[in-house]
Amino acid sequence: MKTTTHRPTLARRRRTATVATLAAGVLALAGCAGSGSAEDSVALDYWLWDANQLPAYQSCVDAFEEANPDLQVRISQYGWDDYWRKLTASFVAGAGPDVFTDHLTRYPEFAERGLLLDLTTLEATADAEAAEFQEGLADLWVGQDGAQYGMPKDFDTIALFYDATLITEAGMSPEDLDDLDWNPEDGGSFEDAIAHLSVDANGVRGDEEGFDPENVAVYGLASNGSGGTDGQTQWSWLAGSTGWTFTDADVWGTEYNFDDPQLQASLEWLFGLVDKGFMAPYEEVGTEPNPQQALGSGRAALSANGSWMLPTYAGLDGIDLGIASLPSGPVGHPVSMYNGLGDSISSQSEHPEEAARLVDFLGSDECQTIVGEAGVVFPARPAGTEAARQAFADQGLDVSPFLDLVENQNTLFFPVTQSYGSITALVTPIMDEIYIGSRDVATLTEVNEQVNDMLG
Amino acid sequence: MSETTVATRPDEAGTTSAHSVPPRRRRRPSVGRIVAWVVMVVLLIITLFPFYWMLRTALSSNSALYAEASSWLPVDFSWGGFERVFGLQSTEEAIAQGGSGASIDFWRYLGNSVVVATGITACQVFFSAMAAYAFSRLHWKGRDRVFAIFLLSLMVPVIFTLLPNFLLIRELGLIDTLFGIMLPGLFMTPFAIFFLRQFFMNVPLEVEEAALIDGASKVRVFFSLIIPMSAGPIATISILTYITAWNDYFWPLMVSYSDESRVLTVALGNFNEQSPQTGPDWSGLMAATLVAALPMILLFLVFARRIVNSIGFTGIK
Repeated sequence: MKTTTHRPTLARRRRTATVATLAAGVLALAGCAGSGSAEDSVALDYWLWDANQLPAYQSCVDAFEEANPDLQVRISQYGWDDYWRKLTASFVAGAGPDVFTDHLTRYPEFAERGLLLDLTTLEATADAEAAEFQEGLADLWVGQDGAQYGMPKDFDTIALFYDATLITEAGMSPEDLDDLDWNPEDGGSFEDAIAHLSVDANGVRGDEEGFDPENVAVYGLASNGSGGTDGQTQWSWLAGSTGWTFTDADVWGTEYNFDDPQLQASLEWLFGLVDKGFMAPYEEVGTEPNPQQALGSGRAALSANGSWMLPTYAGLDGIDLGIASLPSGPVGHPVSMYNGLGDSISSQSEHPEEAARLVDFLGSDECQTIVGEAGVVFPARPAGTEAARQAFADQGLDVSPFLDLVENQNTLFFPVTQSYGSITALVTPIMDEIYIGSRDVATLTEVNEQVNDMLG
Repeated sequence: MSETTVATRPDEAGTTSAHSVPPRRRRRPSVGRIVAWVVMVVLLIITLFPFYWMLRTALSSNSALYAEASSWLPVDFSWGGFERVFGLQSTEEAIAQGGSGASIDFWRYLGNSVVVATGITACQVFFSAMAAYAFSRLHWKGRDRVFAIFLLSLMVPVIFTLLPNFLLIRELGLIDTLFGIMLPGLFMTPFAIFFLRQFFMNVPLEVEEAALIDGASKVRVFFSLIIPMSAGPIATISILTYITAWNDYFWPLMVSYSDESRVLTVALGNFNEQSPQTGPDWSGLMAATLVAALPMILLFLVFARRIVNSIGFTGIK
């Protein structure tokens, strides 16, 4: 009896194993069969990281495929961290995308390793003119060797987001925010506004007697962390409005200016707001600051942030969102960092000419107008920018504070230099220490020497 | 039981006879017992609290989470997180609620994950069991040396083999296929072989000798004796393999390029940070994590008792 009981089980076990193996094989074959594309068309891979822009670019690609029946485009989207990990590994293995969204901080290294194609050497993109894009964007993508490594896609600037209701409650009007001035010594009328908008737990305002900086209910300025090397939304607009620039050139500078007293004074002013109780301390925001939610939940009154955050801020529930210009600094006007993304072509692409046709289309009025109409970012071409302005206006948002900066050329370029990765690894923790208050800004002078040594 | 009897099924074996339970007398619970219970309950709460917190976050609205970050109950209750996970929301709705604009084809990803995890588990356990048998019960020249080399390969970090494997998969033209995701784990892992070998070595020699004297071949012994007698360990390694395959992230991310071959873990990466500074979609992320973990929790609930009951079992009592 017992000797036979195991037999059916055994047979069943064996069958299960066989079936499973067969099933796996069949499925694998099915997978292989399913992934082929049409016979005579060339398939291109296009990667991007921002899922918010995915629908718009999908529409773009649909239009492109319609106009180019011989080409097929497969879009893949991965979140920021996955994107760069997968891209790097794929480059090593030679299985990367043909065309991909590129970032100013990353492309110098790719270009150095010969992973990017010069767009001017490809037929479809050879005649792209820098003048067709918003001022200066195309130049950001020109390598040290004079090659064009990216086709401008969009741009971003910084402005102040606020909740109009909160401003009105404070006895101010949103218009008051439009012509604030700032300087690193006493903070100007900008600091007065921040002080007035800060409220402690007892309801005392920051510019009133008895304000308790240890126990704050509403911070005047939302914290977005220490800003690391570029302080894009944190301090680049403050330091920039003193006339400071990151390096000694627009792009490919050979010396950084962290030793500049103007920058150091700007940092001292900004992180000094913590002791005054006008900005959240590092302990509160940690490594994942979330200024948009601070604004959305009434924890902060003003939030300086980038135009790429427009959809996020617009989506905050229960606030009457307004956008104001950055305060004007000692140079007499506001200054914002001006940065943009581009589309690059991998040198490993088997179809560089076809890839160039795609890049050309992604950089055309047609595609950038589609992207603009989606109201997520500012496309790099004026026609696209206008479409975006309109799309945001339809959402009830006046985005001119972002766009005026570009029109008036009140901009500061993102530091495109060599060794950006190593520089970031060095500077970011140091900026965190300054924010925490455990390091003096004057030490940046020595840090600057180390940074410049890295540039070699 | 006589020694020549072939294995009984472990789950039918009277496991209770192994340890006699003293007759219980009804008495007032002692202080020590109460303390033990309290400690147990506290530990249980500590263990389960993160799951509760995930559920609470998953059922909140993103925008409200920051206003009441320390609330014990869901803030501004919403099914939004789960709706995004199952791909039930329109892109516009998702973006408005702090989600992403990526479309989610949930059931497809789930299917892909099931295929990958099942395929890897079935093949890997089967082949590893064969290898483990060879390493534990067959005698051949250089056996232990080969096994030592196998054990050495346990010390090679996964990240080392990732790129060579990826290159190989690319050369084989298996990029963006489920088979490509499965292949590296399909045949064996040193750990599975090592694990099963330990158990096979404990199967009494007498049982195997008896079978061989009765005229069974080595193959027959493997299928009729070793496998049934090691059902517990095999179930254990199967579950471990299944969970590992299910949770694997970086390899499927590398191989997959489109929805064709995207598994659940990779697809749910969408709820992570999309771009720097935009912040993750917390409620979606927590809902996604719960949904992805649920099948594994169920698997454990179903099999846990069996594994524990049968793990100590060896043929002779």
